[in-house]
Amino acid sequence: MRAVAIVGAGQSAFGDFPDKSIKELFFDAYREMAASVDRDFDPALIEAAYLGNLGSGGFQLGNVSALMTGFVGLPYIHAVRIENACASGGYALAAGAMDILSGTHRVVLAGGVEKMTDVSATRGRYWLGVSGDTEYERLAGTTFAGLYALIAKRHMHEFGTTREQLSLVAVKNHHNGALNPKAQFQREVKLEQAMTSPTVCDPLNLFDCCSTTDGASAVLLCDGEIAKRFTDTPVYVAGFGTSSDYLAIHDRASTTTLEATRRAAAQAFRMAGLRPADVDLAEVHDCFTIAELLAYEDLGFCDKGKGGAFLEEGRTALSGDIPVNASGGLKAKGHPIGATGTGQAYEMFRQLRGSADQPARQVKGAEKGLLHNVGGSGGTAAVTILAR
Amino acid sequence: MALGIAGYAVSLPRLRITREEYIKAWGQFAAAGVAEKTVLGHDEDVLTLAIRASRAALASAARPADSVTRFAFASTTPPYSEKFLSGTIMAGLGIREDAFASDHVTSTRAGTEAMLAGIEHVRARNGGVAIAAIADAPRASMNDPAEHALGAGAAAFVLAPDPILAELEGHATHASEHFGERYRPRGEDRIRDLGVRKFSESSFAANTSGAAEALLEQLGRKPADYAHVVFHQPDARVPANLAARLGFSAAQTASGLVVSYLGDLGAASTPIGLAAALDVARPGDRLLVVSYGSGAASDALSFRVVRDRPSAGGVRDEADRKEYIDYLRYVKLKGSLL
Amino acid sequence: MAHVSVPMYWRTIPERYRLVGRKCKACGALSFPPKGICPHCLKSSEFEDARLSGRGRVHTYAIVGAGGAPPEFAAQERATGSYPIAIVELEEGPRVIGQLADVDPSGIRIGMAVQAEIRRIYEEEGVVRYGFKFVPVGEIP
Repeated sequence: MRAVAIVGAGQSAFGDFPDKSIKELFFDAYREMAASVDRDFDPALIEAAYLGNLGSGGFQLGNVSALMTGFVGLPYIHAVRIENACASGGYALAAGAMDILSGTHRVVLAGGVEKMTDVSATRGRYWLGVSGDTEYERLAGTTFAGLYALIAKRHMHEFGTTREQLSLVAVKNHHNGALNPKAQFQREVKLEQAMTSPTVCDPLNLFDCCSTTDGASAVLLCDGEIAKRFTDTPVYVAGFGTSSDYLAIHDRASTTTLEATRRAAAQAFRMAGLRPADVDLAEVHDCFTIAELLAYEDLGFCDKGKGGAFLEEGRTALSGDIPVNASGGLKAKGHPIGATGTGQAYEMFRQLRGSADQPARQVKGAEKGLLHNVGGSGGTAAVTILAR
Repeated sequence: MALGIAGYAVSLPRLRITREEYIKAWGQFAAAGVAEKTVLGHDEDVLTLAIRASRAALASAARPADSVTRFAFASTTPPYSEKFLSGTIMAGLGIREDAFASDHVTSTRAGTEAMLAGIEHVRARNGGVAIAAIADAPRASMNDPAEHALGAGAAAFVLAPDPILAELEGHATHASEHFGERYRPRGEDRIRDLGVRKFSESSFAANTSGAAEALLEQLGRKPADYAHVVFHQPDARVPANLAARLGFSAAQTASGLVVSYLGDLGAASTPIGLAAALDVARPGDRLLVVSYGSGAASDALSFRVVRDRPSAGGVRDEADRKEYIDYLRYVKLKGSLL
Repeated sequence: MAHVSVPMYWRTIPERYRLVGRKCKACGALSFPPKGICPHCLKSSEFEDARLSGRGRVHTYAIVGAGGAPPEFAAQERATGSYPIAIVELEEGPRVIGQLADVDPSGIRIGMAVQAEIRRIYEEEGVVRYGFKFVPVGEIP
């Protein structure tokens, strides 16, 4: 059976860059990816590019894939935009993997890019308001913050999850982000500050919510048979899974479980022949603090309802037994929507090869890593397990 | 064939503001006899109020929405200057698309105008079911003392042949050309008044007396025959003066006087007053209703109660659902001080 | 500008004004808002219209502040501040999202009984969008 390997990865800095367009951002990621391939990288080898992009801002909704590949010197390939809101990157990875597994292509780029800061906050909310169930959720007067607030409130009601537990996610991830030179936010946050920050959508406050971000990422996938041409230490895609769910959260079976995550994870673990306990570290989708607690539960790291306790016990700290979001996560590293999923892959590629860009973030003995990428409020989810 | 009011209901905004709040803000309160008034919420308008009142009126008449053959909507403050307004209410209630619906706008007399349109339909068909829904929320500049009395509210009446609660015995009307009192130029949302008092009062007197006296003569009635009289009520003084002029007592106007706790409800004032009077009227009681709209026209209607009304909540119960706000919240709701 | 167009809003008026749901002819389950295939049996696309009562209970709620509101709701925010949204479990079974109205945020409880009413949702392009909001039934907190 064919294998899929990652032999290079790059990522731009994540943040707010008035002087960089999506082209320059993508080029930053592409260049680093190319330089990260240990040997024999040749752009002519790349046959396809799956690029995640939401099109936030609306300035290049069509054919953005061709714009990106043309800019980085890859004209004339199978270039396609992958869009599943914030899960675009995870689905770009899955699309690249499926391409290679099908035998169609042998060397494929999976990446993403997003430019979110060219518009005012008001205009930005027009765009963030069309990836939920627009007809009902937007017309109820809410964007994603409100949807995750509804989830958080129910989770607190059903399981006793506390305000403090939510803020501990922010504290942990900002601590990790402070160790990530590419993170949008590189300052620690104290628990008191996180707990008392201004309300956005009660029960979620400012520090419960990730920011809007510019950024790009790119990973080079290849057929496992030729991986050793490029490096002695490829990282393999041990398994991946994807699932959708009803888009509107009111249509879902449960308001406190992301079924898309559960099913995507089940597929990924089955394909990899692994269980949650086998995972050494994970990059999960903490668009809002509650989302990280849900991720612990829905990925199977702990029981449903126990996410807050799992975090409080320190299990997911950098020094814990399953560090989650060593990169700082979406919360501190940033969330450039189309680029987040392959940004997680960039982090994991480096972690699994022992080359995290800031040694203080390096998770010791990292061999199996899990990536978890969710679209919006959970309409789609992609889980990828990478292994040395 | 006996026909008249088969059911009715009132819908009021929950918010209230008192005369004391106005006195804190302006040092005075210009609305005679008004203690507090209703305030339209941000997510309410005359259509949402009319839908709620109509739904409750249909329930009180025990008639389903798809039995309605005639719909008449009245307001001086519709959300559009041009758009078929009844369409929203019909869609909200599930009234048949082949029912004849009409919008009545442009003066505070529109309420009785809509009621009589419904009556005429039922009479001409010797059947059918009509709804008259009247909802209003007049506005003026916040700097204008005329603003002090202005409130918001809706009433809906199901008009049909028997079984009915109150029979319409007869009606009369009087219209004339008069300018300068309570008007709004095209494209403006604030009422104006040239403030020529005697001139305005003479228009009011001529038209309301014209309609009321014609009706009493037509029916062979005297003022004493009426247990309840409901008059146009922009404040408490106007109906009191009209009562005196026509020979009615303060006791007769008491049941239908809603301005004192709801404010000036524009075209909905006499309809809501009628609902309040019906709430306490007994079988056999007669009610006289006299409306007025500047420009000018007046309708007089005479009802006789034939049945006790079902004991669901009336105007007082609806009015008791309330939350008081201060003047600052009031200004934020109205949008500006100008 | 990404938004809900008038035609898009108009198509859902039966749902927004009258809570018209669909009763599956095969399995009898009620679904709202409507789907093409019954989400209960995942087989049938044959339905009859079923108007829901609008009564339900609050399943979960949140209070939207200025930072979390789509721009069409800025006017509401300016006039009356933060507003509550909820997922309401309707008495017939389906759940739907909507704003709560006529209730103080501190008085909202999961499980409280509510009733749908038509209110103004927002105005855009000079066109008013109406739809259901949920108001408390019984004592107003």
